[in-house]
Amino acid sequence: MSNFWTVVSFTVRNKFRTKSFLITTLIFAILISVGANLPYLISLFNNDGVKTASIGYIVAETGNGAEGAKLAEQLKAYYTQQEQPNVVLVDFADTGTDAGNEQALKQGIIDQKIKGYLTFGDVQANGLPAVTYKSEKLLDESTTRSLQGALQNIRTEMIFKEAGLSEEQKVQLFAPVSIETMQIAAEAGAGSNADGLSPEQQAVNMGLVSIIVIMLFFVIMVTGQLIATEITSEKGSRVMEILITSVSPLTQMFGKVFGMFLIGLFQLVLYGAVMILNLSMPQNKDAFMNWNIHFDQIDPSLIVYAVIYYLAGYFLYAMLYAAIGSIVSRTEDLAQAVMPITILSLAGFYISTFSISNPDTLLVKIASYVPFFSPFVMMLRIGLTNPPVWQVLLSLGILFVSIYIFGWLGAKIYRTGVLMYGKRPTFKELRKAMRAYKI
Amino acid sequence: MKPLKIEQIYKQYGDKTAVNGISLEVGEGEIYGLLGANGAGKTTTMRMVLGLIFPDGGQILYNGKPYSHNQLQMLGYLPEERGMYPRVRVSDQLLYLAKLRGMSKRDADQSLKYWLEKFGVPEYYNKKLEELSKGNQQKIQFIASVIHKPKIVILDEAFSGLDPVNVELLKAAVKELREEGTTMLFSTHRMEHVEELCRNITIMHRSNAVLQGNLKELKGQYPRERVMLGTERTVKGLETLEGVTHVQRNESGYEIRIENEAAGGLILRHAMEQTEVRRFEIMEPTLNEIFIKLVGENHE
Repeated sequence: MSNFWTVVSFTVRNKFRTKSFLITTLIFAILISVGANLPYLISLFNNDGVKTASIGYIVAETGNGAEGAKLAEQLKAYYTQQEQPNVVLVDFADTGTDAGNEQALKQGIIDQKIKGYLTFGDVQANGLPAVTYKSEKLLDESTTRSLQGALQNIRTEMIFKEAGLSEEQKVQLFAPVSIETMQIAAEAGAGSNADGLSPEQQAVNMGLVSIIVIMLFFVIMVTGQLIATEITSEKGSRVMEILITSVSPLTQMFGKVFGMFLIGLFQLVLYGAVMILNLSMPQNKDAFMNWNIHFDQIDPSLIVYAVIYYLAGYFLYAMLYAAIGSIVSRTEDLAQAVMPITILSLAGFYISTFSISNPDTLLVKIASYVPFFSPFVMMLRIGLTNPPVWQVLLSLGILFVSIYIFGWLGAKIYRTGVLMYGKRPTFKELRKAMRAYKI
Repeated sequence: MKPLKIEQIYKQYGDKTAVNGISLEVGEGEIYGLLGANGAGKTTTMRMVLGLIFPDGGQILYNGKPYSHNQLQMLGYLPEERGMYPRVRVSDQLLYLAKLRGMSKRDADQSLKYWLEKFGVPEYYNKKLEELSKGNQQKIQFIASVIHKPKIVILDEAFSGLDPVNVELLKAAVKELREEGTTMLFSTHRMEHVEELCRNITIMHRSNAVLQGNLKELKGQYPRERVMLGTERTVKGLETLEGVTHVQRNESGYEIRIENEAAGGLILRHAMEQTEVRRFEIMEPTLNEIFIKLVGENHE
């Protein structure tokens, strides 16, 4: 047992001594901080004051111009009523000719008194003159949209006035018809929606489940690759021969897997702490509140399940990665050799992420029992639907049994693989050699 | 009770027999030479002694007991293909290996410092292995195999790739271990090292032990077939003497192959008739000659 801890501490200590490990961890922590602050940062840019655009018009007294001037006055009145008007209308004196008017308005743009100006055409079927907004800007959408809204409003008011509707009727007409959705559970299950979930809670759960699944996938992939790489390089540098004569292969392999697990756990805890720290900062709390994301609504049992599935998933994949790492003699060959495991974990990951908006399919149900997929897929079901507890326990049971089986198989392959050099052994050679060793 | 006893071990890889019934015994404080051409089965034999692979037949006894994980701690191993962690500091990895073999950290540290001092490289304690030259890496590798004060040390090609100064340094260390009673199994291609260090040897050829026993006795069994002759001036007609098979002239004189020792007398008399003799010796066969004879002939 003491040897086990010796291997664990050596593995952990060496990892912490490598610069690349420290740098990647730091970069990830920074990325997480940026991500957590993103809503706040975005709002910072958005609130950067409402920009007001000054728009000119001609106070004409005859023809289309007169109709237009009337409309412009109404627009002006509309905008002055707004709390934060983003358009200010500026009146220009009539020069008498159309060309002269245009010239005067253009001079206004040059003098930076206005950003653009309005010209008016014939009265349209909707009762308002045709309006053209002229400015130097390319597709000035925000101003145009604002003007459009204002014009719409003016026309509606006009029609209401003509129809003689009362103020009350108007309010009634504009009150939106709403329907609320709520996800409920008909029977008690492992999911978190026992009391029913509002759409906001559902959205939070979807986001949380995606984050958990992505984290699970990344941690398993990264630490798994690290295990395989370390074992291959130990084998490649022949230090393995000395190690095997010093300590039993089983101790060595599990020590390595456990050491890497501690490293992965350290990273997860660090990232989690960074995230919580960032989220609990006052400015972020408000920002998420504005987006209707409430972290106190997260069901703690979801986190507990996430931890269990992380542990189980990690150890299952780690055994395979260790076994593969032991077969290959050179790190150059490793990427190719671990491909099957990578594809396996990718499959589980994709089944989970692509089913996030539709977590009730038969595929999801089946995959939630398959050992290599269940860490990802059952997490999805627990987070978003309400699987009965026995189903979750069955899935976990299958997972634990397969950890045992693959742990045993991995150790056996490891014992055999670490001493096989030269070309990668075929399955037949491997099976034959495996029979020769008691672990 | 011999510290290491190998009885009729046998190993098969597929259709190929790698080791075919080798037996040997190594006493306390003895360096046992295991010789053989490349692929003769030396490394396989050593790996079986280490428990890296299990023999298909026969048994290996350590102080009379069969192999078990507990035996590992009294073994030390210098593998033929060197291997350590290139990017880990020397002290870290050696203390790690010593700890795995049941040493306390303090004892291991003391032992490591002792050896580094002995090899005159105490400054490597905090260096990474990849920063050292190949010869110095080999010193570290050697320390790794003896740091935990093992009772049995297995040295596979211990001195290959070292300059003469370092060979002497390591040879002195090996001799010191022998004085302390360490049992060593030693393989090399350098016959002069075997002659210097080993009392008993086994020569392996194609998985079999072709020659085995006490080095002195083995040499005695082989006829003396070589005469070294040093003279003032040239000697003519050596080839014509009875029993002379081959004459080779070199800087200091002649190296003459003879069929029997009687021819030696003829040569001496023949040479003295013509000139002054400064050196005359009927040479004992070198291990090198015996080896080439055994392994080479069987190759035919």
